[in-house]
Amino acid sequence: MIFLRAILLSIFLITPLKANTIYNLIKIPNLEIYEINTKNNLKYFYAARPFRLGTQKNIICLNSNKKNYDEKYKIINQNLSKYSRNFLKIINLKYIVLCKNLSISGIYTAGIPDNIMKTLILDIEFNKKYFERVIHHEVFHIINLSYKELFNENEWINFNKKDFQYAKCSTCTDKIDLNTYIDSDGFLTEYSKTTPSEDMAEVFSHIMFNINISKNDSILQKKKEFIIRNILKVDKTFKF
Amino acid sequence: MIKKIRASISEKILLIFLMILAIVSLTSYIIIKNKCLFVKNYNPSDIQFNNSQNIAILNAPCGNVIIELYPDVSPIAVERFKTLIRTNRYDGIAFHRVIENKLIQAGDLEFGRRNSLDYGKIGTGQSGLGTINSELESEFNFTKGSVGLARTFRNNTEDSQFFIILEDEPLYEGEYTPVGRVIYGIKVLNKIKFLDNSEYILRPDFINTFKMLN
Repeated sequence: MIFLRAILLSIFLITPLKANTIYNLIKIPNLEIYEINTKNNLKYFYAARPFRLGTQKNIICLNSNKKNYDEKYKIINQNLSKYSRNFLKIINLKYIVLCKNLSISGIYTAGIPDNIMKTLILDIEFNKKYFERVIHHEVFHIINLSYKELFNENEWINFNKKDFQYAKCSTCTDKIDLNTYIDSDGFLTEYSKTTPSEDMAEVFSHIMFNINISKNDSILQKKKEFIIRNILKVDKTFKF
Repeated sequence: MIKKIRASISEKILLIFLMILAIVSLTSYIIIKNKCLFVKNYNPSDIQFNNSQNIAILNAPCGNVIIELYPDVSPIAVERFKTLIRTNRYDGIAFHRVIENKLIQAGDLEFGRRNSLDYGKIGTGQSGLGTINSELESEFNFTKGSVGLARTFRNNTEDSQFFIILEDEPLYEGEYTPVGRVIYGIKVLNKIKFLDNSEYILRPDFINTFKMLN
């Protein structure tokens, strides 16, 4: 036993320190630089190996292959290029982390926004059909986190019909479909009905992705105006 | 009668070999012990500076590190840095965080003092002058030798701690407030004591003096 301890101790003592700048900046391990010279100053990292995060290590994301990263980076960069350097600075978004099969406590998710660390983790294999729209959806969460006072949920809830109630959380329901309703009735997707912030994010992502929002739906029109009005309060030069 | 025994040739060769071995060992020990042996110590009075009011000289165990400060890039941070240097606050402060060939950090004026080092709190101390705002607007390439102010996870928490990078760090641009760049004596910093398995240093090296040229 003493011999085993001695071996373990010697391994610990000779383990070299590998200083990792990315880890020091955003506290996510196993990342490498994908691209840092972009027009709007976003820095893209990719998972070279799987990583776990959180105090209970319940956030997990896996590494993918180069071909996949290359394909998805083009799409992500194209969409995120719609946001100016100044806007991204205002909302506190600087780092994009690319990985696959992102999950929180076993529940798969498209992205994890963290405006404090200026980071958005994106699952590059989440819902291929709506992948591009989901990117904007996640950007909205960063905006919302940075400007909670502007995107007042009580004001938003009042746009809905009086008998409508959101679920208690975005993962408390199995109604998570992202297909855009043909007959909208106040909501753009089934997922919009989960929480006010998801509803806002869905409206924002539809605006950013130029999907027509029915002019006959007065509730949705109010929601759309709310989003546009408040985004312009964040940055009056913002271009939709 | 005692008969005189003469050493054989092989015994003489062995003796000479042992003597040479002893001399080589002793010399090597002295050379290895002196970590500063091949480090050039720059004397600022031998160098002509165009902007002497922005030149600071940090004296470390292996010699002088001459730093040019950039008030045009970060006026508030440089003003704070100069204030602390002129009041000799950095003298006798530990290089408490060192990553080999990558970064050295010092300037904990509260818990990093030579005579009252607090290993439990080092890196969290303050100057007593309060925090200052980050200055991240100007473009600045964090190349080898760049000097920046350290902060907590949040911006606008810079105080007295500073770092000097020993390799290029392009990701630091826009993250940390730059204050200057080492123009002479970067090799002195490579000799600051580091550990292989920890960024934080047990029995660290200290800043001897840190002064402005003028």
